[in-house]
Amino acid sequence: MKRTLVILLRNPLSAFGVLLVATVVLSALLADVIVPFPEHRGAVVDFANFNQPPSAQHPMGTDLVGRDLFSRIVYAYRISLLLGVVVLAIAVPIGVTVGLVAGYLGGRVEYVLMRLTDVFLSIPPLVLAMSIMGVLEPTLINGMLAVTAMWWPWYARLVYNLTRAEREEGYVLAAEVLGAGRVWVMFREILPNCVPSIVTKMTLDLGFVILIASSLSFLGLGVQPPTPDLGSMVADGATYLPDSWWLTVFPGLAILLAVFGFNLVGDALREILGADQ
Amino acid sequence: MPPLLRLILWRLGTSLIVLIGVSMLIFAIARVIPGDPARIALGANATAEQVEALRARLNLDEPIVVQYGIFLRDLARGDLGVSLYTNRPVTADIAQFLPATMELIVVAGLMMVLIGLPLGALAARYRNSWVDSTIRVISLLGVSAPSFVWAVILMLLFAYFLPIFPIAGRISEAMAVPRVTGFMLIDTLLAGRFDAFRNAAAHLALPAFALALSGIGQAARLTRANMIETYDKPYIEMAQSYGFSERKIARSYAFRPSLIPSLTIIGLDFAAMLGNAFLVEAVFAWPGLSRYGVEVILRKDLNGIVGTVLVISALFLIVNMIIDILLAYINPRIRHSTRPS
Amino acid sequence: MTTLHGSLRAALFCATALGVTAPLAASAESVLRLDEVPVGQLDPGKASDYADSILMFNAYDTLVLPVQGGPGMAPHLARAWEADGDSWIFHLRDDVTFHSGNPMTAHDVVFSLERMQALGQGLSYLFGVVDSAEAIDDHTVRFNLSEANSPFVSALVRLPIIDRALVMENLADGDDEMGDWGEAFLAANAAGTGAYTVSAHNPQEETMFLRNEDYFLGVPDAAPDRVRLRYGLEAATVRTLIATNEHDISSQWLPPEVLRAIGNAGGQFLTETSAGAFYVKMNTTKAPLDDVNCRRALSAAFDYGAIMQIIAIDEGVAQGTPSTGAIPVGMLGANDPDAILERDMDAARAHLAECAHDPADFTLEIAWTAEVPVQERFSLMMQSNFAELGFNTEIRRVPWAVFTDLATSAETAPHISQIFANAVTGDPDTLLYGQFHSSAAGTWQSPEHLADDEVDRLLDEARRAEAEDERAALYAQLNDRLMEIAPTIFAFDRVSVFGASNRVAAPALSDPDAAFGLDGMGFSFRLMDMTD
Repeated sequence: MKRTLVILLRNPLSAFGVLLVATVVLSALLADVIVPFPEHRGAVVDFANFNQPPSAQHPMGTDLVGRDLFSRIVYAYRISLLLGVVVLAIAVPIGVTVGLVAGYLGGRVEYVLMRLTDVFLSIPPLVLAMSIMGVLEPTLINGMLAVTAMWWPWYARLVYNLTRAEREEGYVLAAEVLGAGRVWVMFREILPNCVPSIVTKMTLDLGFVILIASSLSFLGLGVQPPTPDLGSMVADGATYLPDSWWLTVFPGLAILLAVFGFNLVGDALREILGADQ
Repeated sequence: MPPLLRLILWRLGTSLIVLIGVSMLIFAIARVIPGDPARIALGANATAEQVEALRARLNLDEPIVVQYGIFLRDLARGDLGVSLYTNRPVTADIAQFLPATMELIVVAGLMMVLIGLPLGALAARYRNSWVDSTIRVISLLGVSAPSFVWAVILMLLFAYFLPIFPIAGRISEAMAVPRVTGFMLIDTLLAGRFDAFRNAAAHLALPAFALALSGIGQAARLTRANMIETYDKPYIEMAQSYGFSERKIARSYAFRPSLIPSLTIIGLDFAAMLGNAFLVEAVFAWPGLSRYGVEVILRKDLNGIVGTVLVISALFLIVNMIIDILLAYINPRIRHSTRPS
Repeated sequence: MTTLHGSLRAALFCATALGVTAPLAASAESVLRLDEVPVGQLDPGKASDYADSILMFNAYDTLVLPVQGGPGMAPHLARAWEADGDSWIFHLRDDVTFHSGNPMTAHDVVFSLERMQALGQGLSYLFGVVDSAEAIDDHTVRFNLSEANSPFVSALVRLPIIDRALVMENLADGDDEMGDWGEAFLAANAAGTGAYTVSAHNPQEETMFLRNEDYFLGVPDAAPDRVRLRYGLEAATVRTLIATNEHDISSQWLPPEVLRAIGNAGGQFLTETSAGAFYVKMNTTKAPLDDVNCRRALSAAFDYGAIMQIIAIDEGVAQGTPSTGAIPVGMLGANDPDAILERDMDAARAHLAECAHDPADFTLEIAWTAEVPVQERFSLMMQSNFAELGFNTEIRRVPWAVFTDLATSAETAPHISQIFANAVTGDPDTLLYGQFHSSAAGTWQSPEHLADDEVDRLLDEARRAEAEDERAALYAQLNDRLMEIAPTIFAFDRVSVFGASNRVAAPALSDPDAAFGLDGMGFSFRLMDMTD
């Protein structure tokens, strides 16, 4: 662990990544202390100061009801990160297991699991989300469930394809000849070889989860105003381009920088872990 | 029967089964979404009798199994019903909007493959050099923002502040050409109008690139990672010891096997683009199917929802079938697999 | 001398050059470009919203037209009309032809009415009072009403006259003896007499119009030759296209900031005051809003001044004017224009003290329409207004189609929702009946689910009353009653503001003396001038 961190920090790019991630996570945690206008995360209106470009007092400008954009972005990190982490934490294990089992066992199991995955994959996410909203209350938790339901099949498909290639490899056959159990082969032999691709996809997905969450709140599901949400800020702010550019550029950069940080770290981690094997 | 042909037939068969599964599921889901389609379609001032009459006309009072039977019967005749949203046959709506979306996605997909794969191969070959680092930063930045954010940023930079590209639509008004295929790039060429072709290409550039960016980054990173892994394999070392040129090794031995995971991801990305395209289409006022899809969902236009989802599903299945066949072609072990699949 | 000579020659040369180019410029087609929200419903029997109105008023004509700059109706396809007991007789012009070349006759009028009633969509409810229509001769038509109904004549601005012969040629199968009543045909084609013909129509993308050279009133030369109406352009796109002269008139649905940006970039503002208002609706069946005192408390706590600040665009231009009560200024029964509503926290607290509910026990749901972003700001303003009374609120973004569905039942209708409504025919009956009569409860216009006998009685009587002053008195009483039971916060009187380029002049959208007072009628393209 300590060694990993040292390697991470030795490379300037991954060190920058660590710095970004640390900044984002810390500012989300310490939002109450660091932002100039903590009360602006809620329903504050200040029509005297609305739609102001960046200034010394408001480094990222103000939104259309006069709230400090910087304060809102920092608070938005909280909800967005939480959402991304929770969704992936549920979706990835489900998808990976389905993909492994289908790819390794083959036969009828593969057929049923992969056709099920295909069915889920080929229904557009918005339709799935709307139907979930039709059955459940439109809360943040259910919003997360909806995103999870549309996320796991991607991992199932990915791991399935990888597994199908791996199961013909010599090391798998060797393990089988030596009498290793199926579960052992799947999770101890094949899975480690899929990890680089899975980690790559996970870091990539963080940004998409943040965005999907915002299209859900447009439909009335998930994060609702006045709670700040990065995706919604970008989407809503786009209406006011190019004059009030700060409304959309800063939240957009906030997503970009946070996910870029995670990607740099993830990328470096993958290299280090890969080298360790 | 040759194994490849058998695989194709097999995949066609399963795709059909999946499509039937999708149609059943979406048929049920469309009826779970809250709201009475007849009420929404008729507008607020319709009387209860009018709503009832429309419900009867749409067979909404029948049991769902009967409704599904009617749907299958019509589908067999190529009829997806009339959209309550546009008051036109759903097939006509889809024929209208699908080409614009397809054009966007195909061009974005091409960008992804033609830019992403070479970038990844380049990075792997010059591993740990400045080339590698530069490509790494570029591809990581590309995947770090959803296509919608890129669309907004690209638009702001290259359409507003530096007005190089047009900000909206598929073609300038003065350049309009008759619709033949619905693909603007093809239609302009068919009309023999190279100025219009350039104009359409300029309109397409930003939205397609915004849509492709994350795919480019993803393809580049995966290709690099997989090629590096392959470089460590014994057969490469053997090839190196035989004194084969680095170029030949890169092309013949390292690149090909690493295509497998990359192609898988590209197949998935291509399908994901169908979803992301909506947001990009919204930013660039691109008259495509994704936007139609969201409208029909919001208005609970049953025929519109079922039709759109079926078409998107079919597209998705076709793309994945092609990817599967390509994989089998590239990887002889899958092609000649002795295990049941 | 030589120089002077040279200048003269140059001037002469220029003049000749101008002489040559001027006719060329004049012969170039003038194109007007505008946008609206999708979908453009071309079938006049289904028309209901603003985009549909623009299509209808240009491709079709109606028997009467609102008088420009004043009250009442002027002749149009009808030369004259008279009441005959409970029925009305209209005398038609005999010099009008449809785009197809068919002459317009009384049979077309009868067909248009019957089709409207048979489809039962759009604004057909306006004609529920008509039992039948009959052609007395080719140019005389009689409408038989089931009871006296004053708003009927003004309702005729929503009865476009359709080319019967053309529709009959294009009938498709349907469950009626009239087949599909031409639904399939009229969804994609116009069959009217209007000043513009429709050359292409795609309900989600655009409609193209061409000037009708055979229009019975003639189309002035300055009016556009071609019109391109696009649907669903993004606000940012419209704003930039107008600045670069690639677009002429925006929709009215832009947020104030974007309209302001269009003005700052050198554009102009067009406005239409169309007898409508912005309403904050309270579900009168849900606690704590089932108690009139709680509703009055919220009405008094609402910041009428601040909302005017939100909708202000520029010096003298705003998306509304201050509210004076339940009926917009300029309409029958409206209050004195100077008696504007103001926030009164003392009154609010007094009302709250009499309310049977404790605000702390409830969380009020404030819904806003996802397609109208400025409503989010209204919601945030209300949230802070009502918090001062101790009400917790929760803001929820709801897409319009979902809202229309939620509104249908008293259980699902949100505590508080927000709508723009206007009189579709200019008559107060069409503004108020659908919103407040108990028989019309549960539509997007009436999420209050109000059931008040006094309100019902006044609405019914005003509908039957014939004399103008009698109706005015009844509506004034209704105004007072609505303020007293406060089912709604009457936030401001609506003004539709459009951002426009300087290529176009539209007197009906800028000069009060030329205004129609009817939503969408200002977009009669024949009355617009292309200035370059």
